Amino acid sequence: MPGDHRRIRGPEESQPPQLYAADEDEAPAARDPTRLRPVYARAGLLSQAKGSAYLEAGGTKVLCAVSGPRQVEGGERGGGPAGAGGEAPAALRGRLLCDFRRAPFAGRRRRAPPGGGEERELALALQEALEPAVRLGRYPRAQLEVSALLLEDGGSALAAALTAAALALADAGVEMYDLVVGCGLSRAPGPAPTWLLDPTRLEEERAAAGLTVALMPVLNQVAGLLGSGEGGPTESWAEAVRLGLEGCQRLYPVLQQCLVRAARRRGAAAPP
Amino acid sequence: MASVALSEAEKVYIVHGVQEDLRVDGRGCEDYRCVEVETDVVSNTSGSARVKLGHTDILVGVKAEMGMPKLEQPNEGYLEFFVDCSANATPEFEGRGGDDLGTEIANTLYRIFNNKSSIDLKSLCINPREHCWVLYVDVLLLECGGNLFDAISIAVKAALFNTRIPRVRVLEDEEGSKDIELSDDPYDCIRLSVENVPCIVTLCKIGCRHVVDATLQEEACSLASLLVSVTSKGVVTCVRKVGKGSLDPESIFEMMETSKRVGKVLHTSLQSVLHKEESLGPKRQKVGFLG
Repeated sequence: MPGDHRRIRGPEESQPPQLYAADEDEAPAARDPTRLRPVYARAGLLSQAKGSAYLEAGGTKVLCAVSGPRQVEGGERGGGPAGAGGEAPAALRGRLLCDFRRAPFAGRRRRAPPGGGEERELALALQEALEPAVRLGRYPRAQLEVSALLLEDGGSALAAALTAAALALADAGVEMYDLVVGCGLSRAPGPAPTWLLDPTRLEEERAAAGLTVALMPVLNQVAGLLGSGEGGPTESWAEAVRLGLEGCQRLYPVLQQCLVRAARRRGAAAPP
Repeated sequence: MASVALSEAEKVYIVHGVQEDLRVDGRGCEDYRCVEVETDVVSNTSGSARVKLGHTDILVGVKAEMGMPKLEQPNEGYLEFFVDCSANATPEFEGRGGDDLGTEIANTLYRIFNNKSSIDLKSLCINPREHCWVLYVDVLLLECGGNLFDAISIAVKAALFNTRIPRVRVLEDEEGSKDIELSDDPYDCIRLSVENVPCIVTLCKIGCRHVVDATLQEEACSLASLLVSVTSKGVVTCVRKVGKGSLDPESIFEMMETSKRVGKVLHTSLQSVLHKEESLGPKRQKVGFLG
């Protein structure tokens, strides 16, 4: 409902009061740098989507839905050269369309839904991390749509979205080479900085650098990597990547169990 | 990105050559093509640069304008990036076709500058909370010949080196109202220090080796690349995997080491070229688009 701007003269733009508040000196509590927050994962919860997954890790809550394969709208430019490794020619390969959205109440400040550059960047990161895992050659001229919705940002949101998206794809029965597991890291500022695995929102805000790693655990291949900030020399980043990969391997059994439970549920619910 | 039609035999030829550290144009795996850099090509901007890397042609213009500082950082100015993929580069960029690639490149540029040490934003502040310099960095992609990110980051660094921001003074009245005064001398300006501005090094994985500065043909043979943004001191500010394939963890560590090596060499040669060009003075012969 539009506000009554003629009689009630308010400011043009409104800001949350926290911006003007004095700095709350809540230093994040010291913790074991390799601890992973307990994860709750559930697949197969949305009735309208082909596959869906909900993932909760600490304060981060992500819901992901997969639909398709659907016919591609608009003609693809045909006649591309065959891809490496004997896969279907480029024009016949399926497409993976990823969408990443933040709920307006997900972060500290309200962000209106067309989030602009950041959401596009994260959607592209999702797509680049999921493509190595999905056998798109088996879905010629079709597109799979993955949409991730971040309900609450409690730190390592992209990693949680990656994991949820992979679970949703597996739940949808899409042919994949392996699951993709995501893990977030952040580097605290200071003279002797260490990389912290699975940071909370507070640790991420105060971080000098952040990194998200996506791993295909069984194949041991890195499917995605996105990091930025004052990370220091390459050795520091290499150490962070190793820590992230270890975290991904530790997370894998939880996701396996989640998929098995979802399959059992589906089996029990299906009519004989 | 621009696509090129390659047959299976050509791909196999390129892949086998790379395994032996020999590329189609005779370079080694860690060699760049010949880079031509020229600054101050556009007169209406505060700074500009043009970079030609093989068949890739990039034009960057930097305009300094006064704006309001962001709420979270009231004592700093900021940079805004905009990348335009011109339809001249490849027919795929006609209409809105180049928008996706443009947003991707702009987001990467925001990411590599997203730290405190790359550029001294405090020097861009005029009046805390009220006025600051905003540098609008506009990148134009004129021709696409492979390895866009590297060429764009070199051009952005050269353009920032060339940027001249007019010197302003803040005069305060007795009532407390502030007035901004531009200095009378048009050549009195502040320059930015580009010591810590990073450059992007893109490493494409071809077979079991990786190459620096891939041409379009080599990019078609590569399924995954690693984009590393490295400063002249070897500090990495951004790491990103690009492409639809996956990478082995060991190759990621090797690629990061290579990027540090290659980045250092790139930075030293770029700095020396920029300083040499500046030492030629304002009377130097400008080549522009005629060379």
